[in-house]
Amino acid sequence: MKDLTKTILRSDDLNCPSCVNNIESNLKRKAGVEKATVHFSTGRIEIEHQHDRISEDELVEAVRQSGYKSQVSPF
Amino acid sequence: MEKLTEIWTRIINPANRKTILLIASALMIATGWLSDSLLNEPFFFDALMIGAALTAGYDIVQRAWRGILNRHTNIELLVSIAAIGGLSIGVYWESAAVTFLFLLGGWLETRSLNKTRSTLKDLLNMAPETALILEGEKRREIPAINVKKNMRVLVKPGGKIPVDGIVESGSTSVDESSITGEPVPAVKQNGSNVYAGTINQNGRIVIRTSKSGANTTLAQIIKRVEEAQEAKAPTQRFIERFATWYTPGIVLFSIITLALSQNLELALTLLVIGCPGALVISTPISIISGIGRAAKNGILIKGGEYLENAGKISVVAFDKTGTLTEGKPRVTDLIRIQPETVSAGIVEKHEGNWKRAIFGVDQDDAFSEQQNELLYWAGIAESNSEHPLAQAILNEAHKTNTIPDPDTFTSHTGFGVEASYKSDQIRVGNTEFLQKEGVSIPYQAKKMIEQLSGAGKTVVLVALNNNLLGGIGISDTIRSEASDMVEKLRANGIREIIMLTGDAPATANAIAEESGIQQVHSRMLPDDKLSVIERLQEQRHQVAMVGDGINDAPALARADIGIAMGAAGTDLAIETADIALMSNNLMNIPEALHISKLTLRNIRQNVVFALITVGLLLSGVFMGSVHMAGGMLIHELSVMAVIINGMRLRWN
Repeated sequence: MKDLTKTILRSDDLNCPSCVNNIESNLKRKAGVEKATVHFSTGRIEIEHQHDRISEDELVEAVRQSGYKSQVSPF
Repeated sequence: MEKLTEIWTRIINPANRKTILLIASALMIATGWLSDSLLNEPFFFDALMIGAALTAGYDIVQRAWRGILNRHTNIELLVSIAAIGGLSIGVYWESAAVTFLFLLGGWLETRSLNKTRSTLKDLLNMAPETALILEGEKRREIPAINVKKNMRVLVKPGGKIPVDGIVESGSTSVDESSITGEPVPAVKQNGSNVYAGTINQNGRIVIRTSKSGANTTLAQIIKRVEEAQEAKAPTQRFIERFATWYTPGIVLFSIITLALSQNLELALTLLVIGCPGALVISTPISIISGIGRAAKNGILIKGGEYLENAGKISVVAFDKTGTLTEGKPRVTDLIRIQPETVSAGIVEKHEGNWKRAIFGVDQDDAFSEQQNELLYWAGIAESNSEHPLAQAILNEAHKTNTIPDPDTFTSHTGFGVEASYKSDQIRVGNTEFLQKEGVSIPYQAKKMIEQLSGAGKTVVLVALNNNLLGGIGISDTIRSEASDMVEKLRANGIREIIMLTGDAPATANAIAEESGIQQVHSRMLPDDKLSVIERLQEQRHQVAMVGDGINDAPALARADIGIAMGAAGTDLAIETADIALMSNNLMNIPEALHISKLTLRNIRQNVVFALITVGLLLSGVFMGSVHMAGGMLIHELSVMAVIINGMRLRWN
């Protein structure tokens, strides 16, 4: 049984609906990420991940690799 | 040296890269044109333009490539092919312009999009990060999300309230506009509910926490607004499906054009102007703005789909209690009616008519014994009932009597209740119910019922062992803005406004008349309300149903748009209603429908505008009057125009 954490990031950088696919697939390629959903309208990035394999900071870094700034949000 | 490394890390940070690439290519293009006019050196000019195209194109090509890896054809791919093609046929300036404008457009769009997303950010910022909790005599500051249920939280004047809870001591006024959209502060004292994210104005209060963090009403609102903005409206889904085959379609179209015309520049120009940017963004931008504006006014709309439906509403049906009226019924009349009784051989006629307003200031004016008796028996029967009218009776009965629990209890929804206590049998309900159970209703009682109903009051009859004891008049204050609201709905083109209620016709008509509603359906059971809605829908009406979300859930769910009022603090209403009004202000109903209509119109304007632009550009290209740079400029301008048009929704 894998222990999944749900982390929410927020980004102010999304400017076109096609950005979504880039970030999503980049996140999903990371080890430990089970699910990633990017909402263009609100800039919200929902990630389900195994906390012991990938941390919040590494997730922010992964989004940054795709070219977008983001930060962790409590809800 | 440290400074240099810092600058370098900023440059290689992909998040800053866009801005840097943009500035660099802008400088190269500017220098290029300057040197061209000063030196007239075509080599230098071309070199700078190639440099600008490569600089600006770097980011675009990278994204296009990532798209291909993920098997997506995106806008970046079209621009990349066009720019690379342009470089290969030697139209360097055009390539530079296309890539630069695309990057600039993206940069501007991000900035304006963030403005539209700001409603949400304002809400997020309303939540304070820490709370001052009281533990005995000690105070401790802890993160607001870690506050547990029943912890006591101190809020100082001017501070933001960090949790949902109940005021335990102190009194103050609270600015609740972040939740309800109401600008007038609400007075809070012992026992009042307060919500996280509202602002304590002038008093110190201690709150007993009921909810914190992600469970607060504020967090719920944020979640709802976000889900609403993220949910795709039918138009948007259609456009997105359209866009998925549109991009490869454009590529194919330019290849065919190339094959037929042997004109590479024409084919590349087609790629540039074929970008579906304005079309793809047309619907989401309007919906984000519309939902954001509504949220600011305390109106939560579930999503774009509902926004589109609400814009088409032709009939609005109201469940009377809790919407047109305040939903806080109070006992106003206690009338004893006694049949002629024989006592000591003399026929006596007892007709008590002790009419009295309960909520007067005059405390000395106690009930007569007969009135107390009426309340006592009614109170026993209603003890287990959850009906709002039962609550009104109980509130009153508890003031003067100790009310025992009944031994048996049966509820007849829509009619009344039946209970037994020791050897006595009590029935409380409407005329029909008591008559059906064999209680005779004398002439004087009928007259009393008529009189009270005519004044908009609900009459509940009380019978003890099948003898009528009397009647209780219960009144629910009509909201002051009800008639203005009905007028506004009519002015906004709502054709039919209907009132549904479980009340007797006379009571219902009195309320309807006062609020200006002409169509009344009285004596409605919950199922009847549902069938009225269904009948209207069969007549091809788009029906909105307004209720308080408590006893009208089926009708709310069946209606095309279910509107719940006074939803602050009731999770259920926020969850289930298509439109939830956080405050009890009736004027928010026409406002919600108005915003929906504006949004629907805005979407149509955007879609039509985007399609016309593409059409004009296409014909321009084939007539040879639009080239790559100009095409890209117009394309980016059209995207900005659509965004600005969408943002207009936030302002007026």
